[in-house]
Amino acid sequence: MLRLAVFVVCLASALGFNTLVLVDTLATRETHSIFLKSLQERGHEVSVKAADDPSLQLSRYGEYIYQNLVILAPGVEEFGGALSVETIVEFVDGGGNVLVAGSRDAADLIRELVTEVGVEMDEEGAAVIDHLHYDANDDGQHTLIAAPSSGLIESEVMVGPRDAVPLLYRGTGLITDADNPLVLPVLRAPSTAYCYNPTQSISDYPHATGQNMLLVAALQARNNARVVVSGSLEFFSDAFIMASVQTPQGAFYERSGNGKVVEALSQWVFKEEGVLRVVSVQHHLQGEKEPPVAYTIKQDVEYKIKVERLVDGVWKPFMSNDLQVEFVRIDPFIRLIMTPNKDGVFSVTFKVPDVYGVYQFKVEYNRVGFTRLFSTTQVSVRPFTHVEYERFIECAYPYYASAFSMMVGVFLFSMVFLHHKESPHKTKAE
Amino acid sequence: MTRRSVMSSTTLTVVLKNFYDEYMKNTPKKLKIVDAYLTYILVTGVLQFVYCCLVGTFPFNSFLSGFICTIGCFVLGVSLRLQANPQNKIHFRGISPERGFADFIFAHIILHLVTMNFIG
Repeated sequence: MLRLAVFVVCLASALGFNTLVLVDTLATRETHSIFLKSLQERGHEVSVKAADDPSLQLSRYGEYIYQNLVILAPGVEEFGGALSVETIVEFVDGGGNVLVAGSRDAADLIRELVTEVGVEMDEEGAAVIDHLHYDANDDGQHTLIAAPSSGLIESEVMVGPRDAVPLLYRGTGLITDADNPLVLPVLRAPSTAYCYNPTQSISDYPHATGQNMLLVAALQARNNARVVVSGSLEFFSDAFIMASVQTPQGAFYERSGNGKVVEALSQWVFKEEGVLRVVSVQHHLQGEKEPPVAYTIKQDVEYKIKVERLVDGVWKPFMSNDLQVEFVRIDPFIRLIMTPNKDGVFSVTFKVPDVYGVYQFKVEYNRVGFTRLFSTTQVSVRPFTHVEYERFIECAYPYYASAFSMMVGVFLFSMVFLHHKESPHKTKAE
Repeated sequence: MTRRSVMSSTTLTVVLKNFYDEYMKNTPKKLKIVDAYLTYILVTGVLQFVYCCLVGTFPFNSFLSGFICTIGCFVLGVSLRLQANPQNKIHFRGISPERGFADFIFAHIILHLVTMNFIG
């Protein structure tokens, strides 16, 4: 038993998942126990603290103590200790992952925080309302949304395999800038939903309506740090995960889809899923092993890149048939799809273009849900040396002949010209 | 055929005939030799260009060196002709005809070195 415990601790520290969970009240620990327990089971060192705990800090002596931050505290007016919106943004810039849950009454602090990651929460008091997609347990305001799973993003890595079970949701709507390529719509609201204060009569057009409104949004920053924002704290709660769903259309589901999605989404946001890395890059002439100092134009080159994917905490060969390599000199001269083998080594053979200069082998792989894969290797391509040109080409013989005839011509001409010099004198003498 | 064109064609033949007669009579024989040489170069160059148009530019370096070689020879030939022309003596005072011919040969050596280097 002790050995097992030691093993688990070793595993957790090897994975290096230290996760800080901030809560409004410690009761959240009970209401969200399934979510927190699944984190612990996956090897996270979970520390649950009140969001206004004066001893809070993310980094010590310039190093981050936590890799992951979960903020289940929509009501917090001000973070305790060294925590602030700035430090959390810095944490994301430093590669940390953040999961934030809001609610109808989320405080300005949380709104400010999610604005930093490109997501906007609707006004205080506003809730997502849908008169067509609500659960039977709703209190009459139709704010307990049974969001159809068709609103989930098309990415198995992020939200797990798709099924038809609706997701329970109660909270505020999120708006994102559609032009922001880093923000992903994880869960879109049904097209009949809108966001407004349910106790007030609607006097002006709601800020967020239909499919433009998001329920859950995600950000994968340029440094591959991940942030998930949900407008509903209860989305992650035991009550919603265990609840059954009855839609007004009469469909009944034993369990809501929340459990699976929360599990998959938390794996994604804490970089247990959808993580790729480049292990090694090799390039050389076809039939050789080592790269030359410089390639010559028109040579046959072989390029290999080994890519691995994190699966259940272990790096496994990555398989895909759409990984491309580019041979770039300002513009890509060559762009080819590489073929993988079973060890995750992608390889391709091509002919260096007939243009010399400094090139890069560039692999850029951006797919929804996966970390960005980027690898460049710089090589120089030189022209033929003087002795490498093709000689005595048949169709060039007229040119050779002309060059030589010019030589002979100038020789003969000189002879005649020089010899002729005498004759005018003779004629003059005559 | 209108009268006017008949007239112009006759004047053209007259002009050409005059030109030819003048040339045969007044041009020194030395310059005629140079002119023959230049004509030969011109024909070679044109032939090469026609060949390139027909066959394509594949050994482009060969074409360039062959063609530019003829152009170079032509330019040098014209230069020699200018210097050898007794009418231009005033312009080349201080440069003897021997010196002019030596320059011609020297320039040719360089031209052919470059041509051979580039022809492939």
